[in-house]
Amino acid sequence: MSNNIKYWKGEEELNRDAQFLANQKHEFSEALPLEEVLSEDGFELNSNRRDFLKYFGFSVTAVALASCYKTNVRYAVPYLVKPEEVTPGVANYYRSTCGDCSVGCGVEVKVREGRPIKLDGSPDSFVSKGGLCATGQASILSLYDMERLANPLVKGAEQKDWTAIDSEIKGTLAALNTQGKKVVLLSNSIHSPSTLKSIEAFKSVYTNVEHVSYDAVSYNAILSANQADFGLRAIPNYRFENAKAIVSFGADFLGTWISPVQFQNAYSAHRRPTAEGGMSVHIQFESNLSMTGTNADHRFPMVASKELAYVSTMYNYIAKALGLTQIPVPTNSELAGNSIETAAKVLLNNKGKALVISGSNSIEVQKVVNAINVLLDSYTSTIDLTNYSKQYNGDDTAVNNAFAGLNNGSVAGVIFYGTNPVFNHNKEWSAAIAKAKLSVSFASSKDETAAVCQYVLPDNHFLESWSDAEPIKGLYHFTQPTISKVFNTRQAQESLLSWANALPGSENDPFKNKRILSQKQDVSPFYLFLKSNWEATLGEGFNKALEMGYYQADSNVLNTFTMPAYVGSVASLAPAISKAASSTGIDLVLYQSVGMRDGSSGNNPWLFEMPDPVSKVCWDNYVSLPKALANKLGVEKDDTVNIEVNGVKYENVPALIQPGQANNTVGLAVGFGHTHAGKVGGSIENGFAPVGINAYRFVNASRSNVISNVQITKGEDTYVLAQTQTHHSIEGRDIVRESNFTEWKKNPKAGNEKAATHIYTIWEKQDYLKDGSPNHRWGMAIDLNACTGCGACVVACSIENNVPVVGRDEIRLRREMHWIRIDRYYSFSNTQKEKFEGASYITREKQIAEVDDTDKGEFAHWENIQVVHQPMLCQHCAQAPCETVCPVLATSHSSEGLNQMTYNRCIGTKYCGNNCPYKVRRFNWFRYNDNDAFDFHFNNPLGKMVINPDVTVRTRGVMEKCSFCVQRIQESKLKAKREGKSMKEVEVKTACQRTCPSNAIVFGDLHNPESEISKLFKNERSFSVLDELNVQPSIKYMTKIRNTQNI
Amino acid sequence: MNKNRFKIWAIASLMAITTPTFAQDAPNADNGKKLYEANNCGSCHALDKKMVGPALRGVHERRSEEWLIQWIRNNKKFRESGDPDANKLYQEYGGAAMNIFENLTPAQVLDIVEYIKTAPAPSAPKTTGPVVDSNAGDQDDSSTKYILLILVAVFAIVLMVLARVKNTLKRIAAERDGDVESSKKHDRWYQKFLPEKLGKMNPTVLAIFTTLIIGLPAAWYGYKFGITEVGVQKGYAPTQPIAFSHKLHAGELKLDCKYCHSTVEESKSASIPALNTCMNCHKGVQLTDKYHGEISPEIKKIYAALDYDPEGMPGKEFGNNPKPIRWVRIHNLPDHAYFNHSQHVVVGKLQCQSCHGPIEKMEVVQQWSTLQMGWCIDCHRNTGIDAANNNYYAALHSKAQKDLKEKQNHSQYFGPDGKVKITPAMNGGLECAKCHY
Repeated sequence: MSNNIKYWKGEEELNRDAQFLANQKHEFSEALPLEEVLSEDGFELNSNRRDFLKYFGFSVTAVALASCYKTNVRYAVPYLVKPEEVTPGVANYYRSTCGDCSVGCGVEVKVREGRPIKLDGSPDSFVSKGGLCATGQASILSLYDMERLANPLVKGAEQKDWTAIDSEIKGTLAALNTQGKKVVLLSNSIHSPSTLKSIEAFKSVYTNVEHVSYDAVSYNAILSANQADFGLRAIPNYRFENAKAIVSFGADFLGTWISPVQFQNAYSAHRRPTAEGGMSVHIQFESNLSMTGTNADHRFPMVASKELAYVSTMYNYIAKALGLTQIPVPTNSELAGNSIETAAKVLLNNKGKALVISGSNSIEVQKVVNAINVLLDSYTSTIDLTNYSKQYNGDDTAVNNAFAGLNNGSVAGVIFYGTNPVFNHNKEWSAAIAKAKLSVSFASSKDETAAVCQYVLPDNHFLESWSDAEPIKGLYHFTQPTISKVFNTRQAQESLLSWANALPGSENDPFKNKRILSQKQDVSPFYLFLKSNWEATLGEGFNKALEMGYYQADSNVLNTFTMPAYVGSVASLAPAISKAASSTGIDLVLYQSVGMRDGSSGNNPWLFEMPDPVSKVCWDNYVSLPKALANKLGVEKDDTVNIEVNGVKYENVPALIQPGQANNTVGLAVGFGHTHAGKVGGSIENGFAPVGINAYRFVNASRSNVISNVQITKGEDTYVLAQTQTHHSIEGRDIVRESNFTEWKKNPKAGNEKAATHIYTIWEKQDYLKDGSPNHRWGMAIDLNACTGCGACVVACSIENNVPVVGRDEIRLRREMHWIRIDRYYSFSNTQKEKFEGASYITREKQIAEVDDTDKGEFAHWENIQVVHQPMLCQHCAQAPCETVCPVLATSHSSEGLNQMTYNRCIGTKYCGNNCPYKVRRFNWFRYNDNDAFDFHFNNPLGKMVINPDVTVRTRGVMEKCSFCVQRIQESKLKAKREGKSMKEVEVKTACQRTCPSNAIVFGDLHNPESEISKLFKNERSFSVLDELNVQPSIKYMTKIRNTQNI
Repeated sequence: MNKNRFKIWAIASLMAITTPTFAQDAPNADNGKKLYEANNCGSCHALDKKMVGPALRGVHERRSEEWLIQWIRNNKKFRESGDPDANKLYQEYGGAAMNIFENLTPAQVLDIVEYIKTAPAPSAPKTTGPVVDSNAGDQDDSSTKYILLILVAVFAIVLMVLARVKNTLKRIAAERDGDVESSKKHDRWYQKFLPEKLGKMNPTVLAIFTTLIIGLPAAWYGYKFGITEVGVQKGYAPTQPIAFSHKLHAGELKLDCKYCHSTVEESKSASIPALNTCMNCHKGVQLTDKYHGEISPEIKKIYAALDYDPEGMPGKEFGNNPKPIRWVRIHNLPDHAYFNHSQHVVVGKLQCQSCHGPIEKMEVVQQWSTLQMGWCIDCHRNTGIDAANNNYYAALHSKAQKDLKEKQNHSQYFGPDGKVKITPAMNGGLECAKCHY
C-alpha cells in the first residue's frame, strides 16, 4: 500500500516548478564564480605556461612564509581555590527546573567548570520525564545573551547600587499605601510556593498591592469553565497515557498547548502499535495544520469560529447515543460531513478511556467539552482534576481591571514580573504605564514593557536562581543555580522581600563569614528563605530533594484522583451555539509556533533558526493561506498579503500556501515582531528590524485566538521565506513507509514488505560487520510512529555539537547547518470522498490533476493532508558513498561502524556532499564564529561560553555532519574502561535521543544482542531508507502505522 | 671578706649547676643551626622579622642566658613561676603560647642562641627572582632567522634582475652606438660570474645542473625543516610566573605527581593544581632560614595571589583581592585533537614520564615530546594494553587468544620486539574519530 502513496515536500515539488527543478540539479545554490572572476580585467582565460609558473612560484613561497608563524603564548589559569566538587575537564550534572515558560519541566543541567552548557529533561521529573522541548533546550543561550541588562535601569539610566533603588521604591510604595492607591503586581503564572510566599510577604507589608496573573496566551476559558462546572478554577492534569481515543479541537497539545513535553511523552505511550495494548486513536479538528494535527490518525479541517457548533454537535451525538438530553439546537450534519458523528462513535467505543480537548479560549466551547468529558467518564481516567495543573492560572478579567485601573488612576503603581503586556496584550499598555506613579519591570532585558517603565530591575536567569515549583498540585520541583550571576542582577523574589524587609537576616546564614582560604562561601538570601520554607516539610531531606530535583509527599499521588462534582449544564448555551454556527467570512487563527511559543525568548537565534515543524519556515512568521483562497487572491509562492481586521492592518506580510489549512481560515504565529528584543529578534532603538510581525495586535477583547472576518488582499511586494524543506527532493523514491493498524495486525510487515535487492557492491566487507568482531557497532532506530516532528532534537544537536546559526539569508541559499533535520512529507488523503477508508489516497499525479479540475476551486484535497515526519541525519552507512569520493580521506570508517569526519584533513571539495544519497552533509561556507556578519552570540566572549568544549568548532571550508555524538560514545567507553566494566555495560545516549520527549530515538550497540537497538533492528516494522543503494545504513526507521478507523 | 666568700660560693654553686656546660666546649653555632632546623623554630620565628613569635636576632642582648634557657625549655612553667618579662612577652604576642622544648638541654639551647648570634646578617634583598612578564612564554623562535634569510634571498634576486636589466640596456646602447665588441662580450648575464667552461654550456643543461646541485638539497632541507620544526614546540620551556621546581618537589622531595595533578585519573586534564593544594604545605613551609628570615620570594607569590597575610590575625589572614596565577601553557595540542589523561594513565597504565620525560629532573619544565600526530600513532602501534585484566577488553582478548591458538591472523599480535601484545591500533586506536571530533 505504501508504494501507492505519492509524498511531496512542498507545492513546488508537487507541481514540478521550474525553479525547483533547476535547483534540484545543483547540489549547492551557487556555482563557483569562476567565469566571472576570470573575465575581469587583467585576467584571461588563455593563461600560459609562464603565468602558471609565476602563480605557482608565488603560492609556494607564500605558503612557506605563512607557515613560519610565531606561536602565540597560551596561558592556563587554574582555580585559586578549587571547589571540591569540580574536576576540570569533567562535567557535573545538577537537577533544576526549566524557567523558560510557566510549565516547569524538571531539567538536568550539564555544568563544565562552573558554566552550564546543556539542558536536558530530568528522568525523575513527572512533567518532563527525561525529555525537553526545543524552547527549553535553547533557553540556555538566553543566559549568555550579551544584551541582557548588566545593571538596573532607573529612568533609562544604568545604576549599579541596588540599595539606593530599594530605598526609593520603598518610599514610593509606602506613600502609595498611605494614600490608598493600588499597586498591581502583574506576574506570569506562578506556581512556585516560595515565590508565592514572598509575594504574600510583600503584600502583607504593602496592603495596597494586588497580585494579578497574566498569561500571554490565555487559558482563561478552561479555568473559568472549570470554575463554573466544578467550582475549581484550575486546569486539570490531562492524562494522555490513559487515553485510547483522543479528539482535539484545535489544541496543539504536542507542540504548544499547556504542557507539551509531558503530553508528548504520555501520548507516545499508546502510539506504537502493540499486539496486546493496541494503539490509541487520535482525531484532530483544526484550522491551521498544527504539529499535533500532523500526527493525528484523522484530521479534519474546521473553520475555527464554528468550533462551538462542532463541539455541541459532538455532544449531541454522544448524548443521543447514551440516551441523554441533547442541547436544543438543530443538528448540523453538514459540518465536516459526518466526521463528527464518526469521531463520536470512536469516543463512545472507548468510553472511560477517551479524552476530548479544545484549544479554544471560549468559555462556551470549554463548557461543552467539559460536558462531553463528563459523559465519557473521562474524569476518572484521562482528566485529573484532583491533582490539577498549576502551570497556567492567568485571569483575564483581573488583567483588564488592572489596565482600567491604571487608566483611571485608581491603580497608581505597577510591577511587571515575567510579563510583557506592551508586546503581547491587546490593549495599549504603554500609555497606561506612563500614568502610573511607580512602574517597575523585572525583565532581564529592556523589553517593550521595560522600555516604558521607570525602574527595570533585572531578574536572574533561571540558571542563576534559587526557587521551587509546583507544576501539578502536590508535586514539587526545585531550582538551583548552576552558575554565579553573570551580571549585576537580582532575583525578583529577593527584590520583593527586601522591599517588605522580610529578607532572612544574615544571622540565619550558616555560611556567614565562612571561607575556604580566600574563597568566600556566599549564598543568596533567597536560598535561606527557600530553605526555611521547606525545613518544616523536609528537614534534613532538603539537600536530598535538591539533589533529586523533585519532591512529592505521596509517590502514588498521581494515581489517586476522583470524579469532581459536576454542577454545569449545557442546555443554556443553545442561543450562543445557534449564533456561532451562522458566522461567515475568513477567520484569522493565531497560534504559537513550536519553537518561539509566546515569544518570550524573542532574542534567541537557535529558536529562529529551528524550522517550523510543519511549514519548515525559519526566521519569520507568515500568513498561511489555504490553496483555495490563494487561488482566489492570485497569491503564489513568495507573494505577500495585506491583512486587516478591527482597524489593525499589516501590509506586505509574507504568505505561505499551507496544505492542510482549512478553507476560509488563515493562520499567523504570535511571538514575532519584537521591537525591543535585541540584535537577533529586532530592536528599533539599535536599528535591528523586527523579525516578522506582531500578531498579538490582532487579539480581540475576548482574548480569543480566533478573529473573524479579516480582510485579506494580495500585497504588492514579494518576500522569499527561508524555508528548508524543499531544499531536497524525494524524487519519487521509497523513503517513507506507512500502513495502518488494521493491516499491521494482519501482517506486522505491512507497508514494509518491499525488500531491497542487493545487486553488487564495490566495497570490501567492513571488519565490524564480520562475525566475531570484538568491537562495538553503533546503530540507531527511529520510530516514525513516535516522532511528532517537534524539533527538540534539532536544537539539542546544535547545542551539543556547536552547530552554528547561519541566519535567514544563508538558509535561503540552502546553507543551513543543522546536522539533523526533520523531513516532513505531505500526502493527500481524500477523506472528503471516502472518509475512514484507508485505501483512498490520491496517488498518481494524473489523478491529482483530475481532482484539481473537478474540484471547482474548493481544493478540498488540499485541506485533507496527511503528514509523515522523518528525522534525517547521517546514516553512518557501512558502505558509505561519501568515503570513496573523498580525495584526501577526510571521511573514513571506524571499526565501530561510525562514519568519521575529520575536519583538519578536509579541504572542502564537497564531493562527499554531492555523493551522499541522504543529503545530510553540510558545508561551512563561512567562518561562523568570531564573525560579526553572523551576529548570533558566537562572536562574543559571553555567547561562546555555551560552546561544548569537547567538540571542535569548525572553521570555513570544511564539511561537517552528524557524528553519532562520538564525544559521548568516547566518554562512556572510557568510563567503562576505567572501571573495568564490560562492553555491554557501555551506555550512550546521543543528544537527540536524550531530549526526545516521545522517546522516538533509540541508540545502542548492535553487537550486544540484548540491547534494545538489536531488538528494534529485527522488528518487522524496521526499514532502511534507500536500501536499494546497498549503502547499508546504521539507522533504521520504523514504518509509520496510522490507526485509521473503518467504522 | 664576707663579700668575697659569698662570691666564691656563688661561683662555685653556679659552676656546680652548670658544670656539664662548662665541661663541654663553648656553645657551637653549627650544632645550634641543626637544632634550629630540627625543632622547626623557623615555622614561628625568623631572625630579622616578627612572625608568630618575635624576631630572634640580638635576643642574647635582650635576655640573659638563664632567662632564655628557662623560657625556651618550658615557657609555661616559667610564666607560671611569675617572671614579669615572660608574662609581658606572652601578652605582647596575643597569648600565643610557644611550644615546650624540654627535650633540649640547656647546653643545646645555648647552641641555638650561639647560632642566632653568629648567623650572617641579611644581604640586600634579592630582586632577581623570575618576574612575570608578558613575553615570558614567547618561544625563541628560530623561524624568524629563516624569514630573514628568505628576505635576503629575495633581495638578492631583485638585485640580479636589476643588474641584468642594466646590462641589457647597456648592450642595447652599445649596439646602437655600434660598439659591437662590447655588445658581444657579455651575451649571457651569468657568464661573468662563472668559469669560462661552465659559462659556455648549453643554458638548459646548466639550469638542470644547478637545480640538481642546489635546488634538491635545499628542498630536502626545507622539507625536513617543515616537518620537524614548524609548529613543533619540543623543548619549549617558558619562564613561569612562579619558579616552581619539579626537580625539588618531584625529584628530591619525592612528592607523588598525583598529589598536585590530582585529576589525572578521572579527567582529560591532569590540571595545574589550585593554590589551596600549594597551601597545604606552604602555609608552614616558608623557607625563611634560606632567605635570611624572609619568606621565600616564590612562596610569597602564592601568598600574594591568595591575598594571604601570614602575620594576619587568626581568621583574617585572607584578604578580598586574590589574583589568579596565569601559568604559561607548555603543552598546546590543537583544538581539533582530543586527548584524555585518564585514558592513558588509568586504562593505559602509562607513567607520566613516558610522555613528559624525566620531569623529576627538570628545574624548569619543558615540552619533552614533539606532540606530533606521528608520535601519537607510533605509540598506539607499539604499546601493549593490559587487555587481560580489564573486563572491557574481554572480547578483544579472547579473540586474540583464539587467533593465536588457531594461528589465524596471528602475526599482528607480534610486536617489533617479538613480544605478543594487543595494541591500541588493533582496537581502532588509529581511527580519526578517536581523537578528532
